[in-house]
Amino acid sequence: MTLPSGPYKMRPPIMSVKVEDSMDIMIVRDTARRAAGLLGFTPAHRAQLSSAAATLAELVLKTGEAHTIHLNGVVNGAKIGLQISSETPWLAGVSANNVLVALRSKLGELVDEIMLKGSEPPTIVVVMWLNDARTRELLTDDDE
Amino acid sequence: MALEVLLVEDSKTQAAQIKETLESVGLRVRIAYDGPDGIREAIENPPALVVLDVKLPTMDGFQVCRRLKRNPTTQDIPVIMLTEKAGPKATMSGLRAGADDYIPKDIFASEHLISTLQELGILE
Repeated sequence: MTLPSGPYKMRPPIMSVKVEDSMDIMIVRDTARRAAGLLGFTPAHRAQLSSAAATLAELVLKTGEAHTIHLNGVVNGAKIGLQISSETPWLAGVSANNVLVALRSKLGELVDEIMLKGSEPPTIVVVMWLNDARTRELLTDDDE
Repeated sequence: MALEVLLVEDSKTQAAQIKETLESVGLRVRIAYDGPDGIREAIENPPALVVLDVKLPTMDGFQVCRRLKRNPTTQDIPVIMLTEKAGPKATMSGLRAGADDYIPKDIFASEHLISTLQELGILE
């Protein structure tokens, strides 16, 4: 199994799902929802992120290759977000612009950032950042 | 007294399954089998929560959700949409219609539904 990578500093949760068939798409969706919940996203934004993760997993599964979807927290200054990523060796040699146009048409409404990183192999990286509208109050031990 | 949920679902089999899940956590469940009935029920006797199927006869779940969110009597009632259409466009349509969550009807649906009920303060 590969390790997650991306432009931002990683933070927990760090989760990975190996996708080999359509049943695994459900597990990706569920894992994304859990990861987003752990970071404090509202149920509506969890739904958005789980849909993004499942769509990415479906896209990669259509190439016929088993792959791993990584879900991890990321930090950029004061911002915290959820990153979803997958290595895509089958994209080697394909124009990054064409790939990004295709990804934006599928995922553009669901996430804040869509990137293609590296080339050996390229990695698709999408991120949604937490902000006030997307945050629920997380219970701490002091609240209980 | 247990909080009441209005379930809008046209499939009697699925309605029975969802009702069982909701009752298992102590909620009372009223069922409407189509959109117009669901809206009428929500206005006449506002529930604590609406659980709404997307694919309904006469009026789909998105339309029902928009109507509930436009009506002052029902606009503050949380709405959870349960769906077989889980793609990006459908998800965004549900959330834009004002749904508080959009849950695919898969093997994790009951667990997600209960976790969202806790988040929304419907369950402790």
